[in-house]
Amino acid sequence: MADLGQSKPLPDITDLTRPFWTAAKNGKLVLQKCQRCATFNFHPKPWCIECGSRELQWTAAKPSGTVYSYTVSRTVAMNSPAWAAEMPLILCLIDLDDGARLYGQVTGCRAEDIRIGMRVDVHFEDISDEAGIPKFRPALQPATAG
Amino acid sequence: MRGEVAIVGYGRTPYSRAKPGEPVLNVDEYIAWAADLALQKAGMSKNDFDGQGLGVSHAEVAHTVNWSAATAENLGISPQVLLRADQGGASAASMLIRAAAMIHAGIVDRVLVVGADTPLNIPSVAPGLPLSPERTRGVYWDFQGPFGVMGASAQFALVQTRYMHEHALTSEQLGKIAVSARYHASLNPGAIYRKPFTLDEYMNSRMLSDPIRLLDCVPIVNGGLAYIVTSGKTARSITDKPVYLRGFGEINNYYHGSRALPDITTTGFVQSAPQAMKMAGVQHKDINFFQPYDDYPFIAMMTIEDFGFCNKGEGGRFVEEHDLSFNGDFPMSTDGGQLSGGQPGGAIGGFMPLVEAVTQLRGEAGVRQVKNANIGAACGFGGIPYGRPGRSCISLILGTEP
Ligand SMILES: [Zn+2]
Repeated sequence: MADLGQSKPLPDITDLTRPFWTAAKNGKLVLQKCQRCATFNFHPKPWCIECGSRELQWTAAKPSGTVYSYTVSRTVAMNSPAWAAEMPLILCLIDLDDGARLYGQVTGCRAEDIRIGMRVDVHFEDISDEAGIPKFRPALQPATAG
Repeated sequence: MRGEVAIVGYGRTPYSRAKPGEPVLNVDEYIAWAADLALQKAGMSKNDFDGQGLGVSHAEVAHTVNWSAATAENLGISPQVLLRADQGGASAASMLIRAAAMIHAGIVDRVLVVGADTPLNIPSVAPGLPLSPERTRGVYWDFQGPFGVMGASAQFALVQTRYMHEHALTSEQLGKIAVSARYHASLNPGAIYRKPFTLDEYMNSRMLSDPIRLLDCVPIVNGGLAYIVTSGKTARSITDKPVYLRGFGEINNYYHGSRALPDITTTGFVQSAPQAMKMAGVQHKDINFFQPYDDYPFIAMMTIEDFGFCNKGEGGRFVEEHDLSFNGDFPMSTDGGQLSGGQPGGAIGGFMPLVEAVTQLRGEAGVRQVKNANIGAACGFGGIPYGRPGRSCISLILGTEP
C-alpha cells in the first residue's frame, strides 16, 4: 500500500492496465475498444460490458470531450492529504467524444467558470516513472456541431 | 412469498465515535452485543439457531477468511446455513431476501442476521479514508484515487450537479431533509448527533464538494445491528407483534440508459420499488412511513422519486410540500437516519432503515412513534460504482399483517 500521507496515490499497475498508464506517460489517450461491437470501455474491464466479448484492443481515443457533470472539492476526503495543495480542485465526469465516460480533473479553469456542456481537451501529467494521467482543460476552439 | 416470513427481533447497539476515554469494542463484540439485543427482544437463545441460519454482513474492518463461519465460532452457534452479504448498505436487506428464500424452500425455519463494523478503529490518513485494503487497492481505487476523486462526497456531488442541471432542486429542499433527520435524532437516545439545527445552519455549513455541504454528510461511528427472521408460523408462536415481509425487489448494477454513457440521475429503485410493491399488493397511499438509505439528503430525495412517491424530477418539490416528521404526512427517516444517527461503516448503516421500520411497525418507537403504522417501506442502497450512484438498490415492504 502506498504511503498515502506523503504523496498522491499511485496506481498498482498490472498487465491489464499497463497500456493505459504507459500511453498516458507518452501523452496519448488509449481505451479498450471492443472488436465485436466497437464499444469503448473505461475503466479497464476483463471483457466488453455491452456484448461480453473478450476481444478488447487498446485503441487511441479522440483526446476531447464534454463535461457531463462537475464538482469543486474544497477539502480532502477519502484520498491522500497530498491533494490539499490543489484545493479547490475541479473534478468532472467527462464524456469523451468516442463515447466513454471518466473521472477527470479540469485544470486551467476557475472554479466559478466550470459548466456542464463545456468542451474540454485532454492533457497529461506525469505521476511516476511508469505512469501518466489524463487531465482536461477548456477547449481552445468552440464546439463544432453536435 | 408475500407474508411468509416475519421479523421477530431486532437489536441496535449504542454507537460510539471512539473518542478518547471511551471503551473501544471490536467488531466481534459489537456483533455479539447486537445479537444479544435481538435475541432478548425475540425471547430466543443462541441455541435456537443451531441447525438454522446465520447471516453475517460484510465489514470493512479486517476480518478472517471464512468470516461468517468464524462468526458462528465466536458466537458458539452451529448453523446449517451461512449467509454472507457484501452489498454494502444493501447487505441487511439482501440477507432478508436470501433468508426468506431459504425459509420458503424449507431448508431452515429461522435466521439470525448480524452486522457490525468499527471503521473508527482503523488507522486513517484522511477523513473517511481508513487504510483498509479495499479502500486503497484494486482497479476501482487505481482509477479514482490518482484521478483526484474525493470519496463519496465528490462522487455524489457529481450526481447531484447533473441532477440539478436536468431538474429543479434547491439546496433548501435538501436542507429540509437534513433538518428533519436531526429533529428525529433529537427524539432518539440512540442517535449520535441529537442537537437540532435550523435550515440556516444547514445552508451556512461549510461547502465540502459543491454542492455538498458538511451537514449533507453522514458521520461515521462504530456499532452493530441485528435482526431475526423466522417462518410466519414460528413468528406467531413467539410474538404477538411479528413484522411480515410483504414484498421485496432487488436490482444490482443498474444502468439507466446505455452502459457506457448512462443517465446517472435515476437509480435502480425505479425497478426494485415497483417489484416490491406489486408483490406486497400495496400502493403508495397505503405506505405509512418511508425509511430510505439516507447517507446524503440528495440520495434520500432521489430514492423518494425513484420509489414513485412523485414523478421524476419532482422530488425536491415533494419534500418541500410534505411534512417529513414522524407525525407529518410523509414520515421519513424517523430514527434520525444515518445522517444524524451515525453510520457504523458503509455496510452496516443499511441495517438502520430496516430496524427502524420494524421498530415502528411493532409500535416500539416511543416519542417518535408513527401513529397507526401498519405498512412501511425500507431501502437498502449499497456501494458506489464508477461514475454512478448506487450498486445495489433493494426495496422492502413490511407490514403488521401478512
Ligand atoms: Zn462489445
